[in-house]
Amino acid sequence: MKWSKWIILAILLLFLLAGGIPLFIQRNYKETLVMADGVTRVLRLSDFFEPLKGTMGDTNIYEFQGKDPGGKVLILAGTHESEVSAMVTAFMFVENLQVQAGTVYVVPHYNYSGSLGSQPGGGFPLYYTIPTPWGEKKFRLGDRGLQALDQWPDPDVYVHYPDGQLLSYIDARNTNRTWPGKPNGTLGEKVAYAAMEMIRNEKIDIVIDLHEAEAMFPVTNCIVAPEKSKSYAIGAALYVKGREKFESHVEPSPSNFRGLSHREVGDFSDALVFLLEAPCVHLDQISGPKTNDLMIVGKDPFINVAAEKGLLFVPIDDRGWTIERRVGQQSSVIQEIVNQFNKKNPARAILFTAPKHAEVVEKRMGAFFKDPDKAPKSRIAYE
Amino acid sequence: MFNDPQFFQTIGYTLAMAGGYIVGKIFKLSTEICLFIAALVGALVAGSGLDVFRHFAEGSVTYFDIGLIFIFATLFMNILKESGAMDLIVRWIIRAFGNKKVFFLILLMIVMLIPGALTGAGSISVLVVGGTVSAALSAMGLKKERVAAIVFIVAGLSAAAPPINVWAMMTCAGTAVPYVGFTMPLLVPILILGLFTVLFLGWKGKISNIEEALKTIPEPKGLSVWSVAIPFIVLVALLSLPRIFPFDFPLLGLPLSFALSALVAWIMNYKRVKVFRVMADTVAQLTPLIATTTVVGMFVQVMSFNGTKGLFSLWIVTAPMALLYIILPFVIPISEGLLTYGGVAVLGIPLIWMFNARGINTVIALSGLTLLWPLGDGLPPTKLIGRLTVDTVGYTGSYGKFLKECIVPWIAITVVGILMVAFSNQLSFLMG
Repeated sequence: MKWSKWIILAILLLFLLAGGIPLFIQRNYKETLVMADGVTRVLRLSDFFEPLKGTMGDTNIYEFQGKDPGGKVLILAGTHESEVSAMVTAFMFVENLQVQAGTVYVVPHYNYSGSLGSQPGGGFPLYYTIPTPWGEKKFRLGDRGLQALDQWPDPDVYVHYPDGQLLSYIDARNTNRTWPGKPNGTLGEKVAYAAMEMIRNEKIDIVIDLHEAEAMFPVTNCIVAPEKSKSYAIGAALYVKGREKFESHVEPSPSNFRGLSHREVGDFSDALVFLLEAPCVHLDQISGPKTNDLMIVGKDPFINVAAEKGLLFVPIDDRGWTIERRVGQQSSVIQEIVNQFNKKNPARAILFTAPKHAEVVEKRMGAFFKDPDKAPKSRIAYE
Repeated sequence: MFNDPQFFQTIGYTLAMAGGYIVGKIFKLSTEICLFIAALVGALVAGSGLDVFRHFAEGSVTYFDIGLIFIFATLFMNILKESGAMDLIVRWIIRAFGNKKVFFLILLMIVMLIPGALTGAGSISVLVVGGTVSAALSAMGLKKERVAAIVFIVAGLSAAAPPINVWAMMTCAGTAVPYVGFTMPLLVPILILGLFTVLFLGWKGKISNIEEALKTIPEPKGLSVWSVAIPFIVLVALLSLPRIFPFDFPLLGLPLSFALSALVAWIMNYKRVKVFRVMADTVAQLTPLIATTTVVGMFVQVMSFNGTKGLFSLWIVTAPMALLYIILPFVIPISEGLLTYGGVAVLGIPLIWMFNARGINTVIALSGLTLLWPLGDGLPPTKLIGRLTVDTVGYTGSYGKFLKECIVPWIAITVVGILMVAFSNQLSFLMG
């Protein structure tokens, strides 16, 4: 081989290393959590479906068991790992939740594989950070779907199990299209199956799946609920609008669109299921440079133009859709859904306290995260 | 409204990227290198610093699967070509249907439509049956550029045809719209436009003397029908079994399905095919195309990183509807020519949300738009399917002349696509 070809090969290898090393580091980066005193156990999703053990589909489940008996609620975050307020809400819950009655389960990275790498072609940073009184809290920014490293190849079309509906090949790696799962299916289907096993075996009363949606997306700033959950969702939406002064309307779960948590979880178990969509702007195709500020501060001049043209489904003002507003909404709506459940099912009441919308907005997000350097080692967990 | 500093900054990034591309062209560098320079400039001026390497690594795998499909599908066809199988098939088609022109053209259209419709990739139609169809059309006495135009346009329609329309599916996945109700809104216009294309472009062709026509195609000696049929049977089985038994058949993916079919094709013809040479030739043949898909991924990544992608999307969705009808016929194919499937994210997703906000039937409108995207696969700088087509057909003349042959069906497709957007609500009966 000529010298020139060796030089080209060497440059190519350098390029590969310089580009690949940050991706390798991100895939192995561990987020740190300081667990609240109320965390009674840290379970794994594979505890409910053994074949998931040792795969990138396995993930932590933080259990908060109250002193008094009651119902059970499962909070899933990170179904789409690019929807940041979902994960931040889950982290805030794990660090701050206090449960008096019943059991609360929190899964910060339901799609753990998706959290290990960002979206090719997306142009996003590999991490996002939130300022706290003790420094920056750093999170991995993941992808909407499972990583191709963990589930590949893609089919030319994804056939939903068991319905048989044809979905985009992209959706084969979308953990919000693989419900109710399949024990011998793809990794995404196994993850969903494991979660369904947990829901059925643990007799979970309420499942809440946290998401974010673009300002241009019609189904944003809302609670998506199937028929059997609808009255609870309406109650929660009315409450947060009346008492907490923010909007989160109710959207019906379409029966002809399969694979989504808000459709399949309710159809394949006794649980009441809700999917929460907080509005965000960083995922909008029309938003500007993909920066940390865009995700955390939630302001963008391009979005403002679209708002002036009446193209958005959420109001845009000077406040921006900050991480505090989005997390605060998620937290308050979760709590109000559970309150609505408690009113109708007092024997299985789930009683807990967590920061609400106004408090999160006022104190800022960083106030709810503890300094891992000052926490006892027994309370530290890694994601 | 458009007076925020971010607008001027992003316009600056756009100009810097365009400048990088132009400088590359001045130095007569290849399109791929020019796009690479443009992406590099776009990342650096936007402040990526050393993170540019990571953006390039991440962007380069955006279309990894498409590159793999190209390689293995071409390998499959090249093995069959080397064995003489393609000559055998063309001879059979001419002998059986050569004196029934309309039927002959319709048959070739259907043969072209099926692979792309099943896989969602026009490239598969070109690679799998394009060679055979072009040989059959050439036997009708049609000029090479006209043959290439038929293959390109019908392959584009095949990619948009149901059941798998990748542009529609990607838009649906990005907008959380179910991929439901698209069959007839896609099938009806595609069959009409396909018929129009083959009849308009192929009408002047004629096989006056079948025996004379057969003399122009080499007769493969000692090649059994099974050596030709079995690889195709394996391919059809591997493509259709996952659909027939979706929950039981193992997930192979298109690249492995083609790789296995290529292996079978070689085993059936191992005496006739020098497989290592065919493999080397295939990789050499496809290197520019793979380079294009790789560098386009990097380009899309940088456009997203520095906000130029957002700016373009915004300009399109904020344009008045009347203006949209005028610019979409240009903007959609150009976005495909520049970004390949990346154009869907830039335009398709925000357009569908904008249509939805304005009460337009999104299924019909999206079906109409997806007729336009495949046209862009013939446009520079990437001209992905256009290049594959002229290679497969063996057309060596000017690329512009080939595009000129496409003009009439191109206009017909554009008119139908835009009318579907404009009259989407009136056409909603197509959804059944």
